[in-house]
Amino acid sequence: MGSSKPKSKTLDLPSAPDEVLVGAAREGDMAAFEELVARHRDKVYARAFSILRKEEDALDLSQEAWVKAWQRLGQFQGDASFLTWMTRITINLSLDRLRRRQRLQAESIEQMDEDFGGVERHLPVVTPNPTEGLERAELRARIDQAMAQLTWAHRTVLILHELEGLEYKEVAKRMGCSTGTIMSRLFYARRRLAALLQDLKAERSHDAQS
Amino acid sequence: MTHKAELNLQAWLDGELSARAAAEVERLVAADPAARDLVAELRWTRQVLRAGEVDRPVPESREFYWSKIERAIRAAEATAPAPRPSAWWRWMRWVVPIGAAAALAMFFTLPSLRVAPSVAEIENHLEDMGSFSFRSESEGMTVIWIASN
Repeated sequence: MGSSKPKSKTLDLPSAPDEVLVGAAREGDMAAFEELVARHRDKVYARAFSILRKEEDALDLSQEAWVKAWQRLGQFQGDASFLTWMTRITINLSLDRLRRRQRLQAESIEQMDEDFGGVERHLPVVTPNPTEGLERAELRARIDQAMAQLTWAHRTVLILHELEGLEYKEVAKRMGCSTGTIMSRLFYARRRLAALLQDLKAERSHDAQS
Repeated sequence: MTHKAELNLQAWLDGELSARAAAEVERLVAADPAARDLVAELRWTRQVLRAGEVDRPVPESREFYWSKIERAIRAAEATAPAPRPSAWWRWMRWVVPIGAAAALAMFFTLPSLRVAPSVAEIENHLEDMGSFSFRSESEGMTVIWIASN
């Protein structure tokens, strides 16, 4: 497709709501689907990146998610928003990819640590809140930095529970493990994140003084 | 504090406990300063995460990003497998030959089918096609079963 904006035969694309675009795309209107991609591509890409943490992988996977969405438009029920539906497709594909990657790597000891708490078991409780008083952009940047340092299992459980708002049972289903394992992973993920945020605060204070 | 107690504290914060279990956790939090500190840490960790994520736009132009998606969709459609036969037809593919075989078996095992003075014939015309015909002069009828495989 060239640089000109896509044109639908029947719709004013920029003003059409998502559900109308989905309906048109289901009928084969590729321009309507392109409009949906343009609207939500950043969010879909960001979610893939948040799990995979690699630009190239996230780009590739987000595009795969859009292709899957086109093929499965008939399954979109409309009980959640189109973006929520797209995000779920992206998460499922990301988890599939990570599982395949994990199968190729022998990491049983690391996995046990993630489930049952390795160093996190012995971390002292962090008080007071090391992010207090931070500007929103700075806070987000620090969280992003800390998330990047977590293992994929800890990061993913936080994303699914805290950012996607899924209950324990639903997270367990998506990650293919028991609710007990999810509770444990979530606990240690939170503790590790707290420790990382405290470390980041200490590093910044040290940098500011020197 | 046991690990189970720690997980219960977390589940309480996440609203995943029954009213009875939640009441137990509340008693623990009221009585144990370590439990209160842990709850405070878990609570602010949850709050900071809800502050949101760093904006991360796609590092490609809209046109280039879309062109790859469009190409993949077209490629997938070009190589899509032929549609599967309908459930009815899949069912009939089995029923017709079985029915024909059953008719043959009945013909040879039930004498009443063979008492007619005139000749009744069953033929298998083409084995590949799985076609059978039953012809009875006395009844003045011909029945043909066809099953293509």
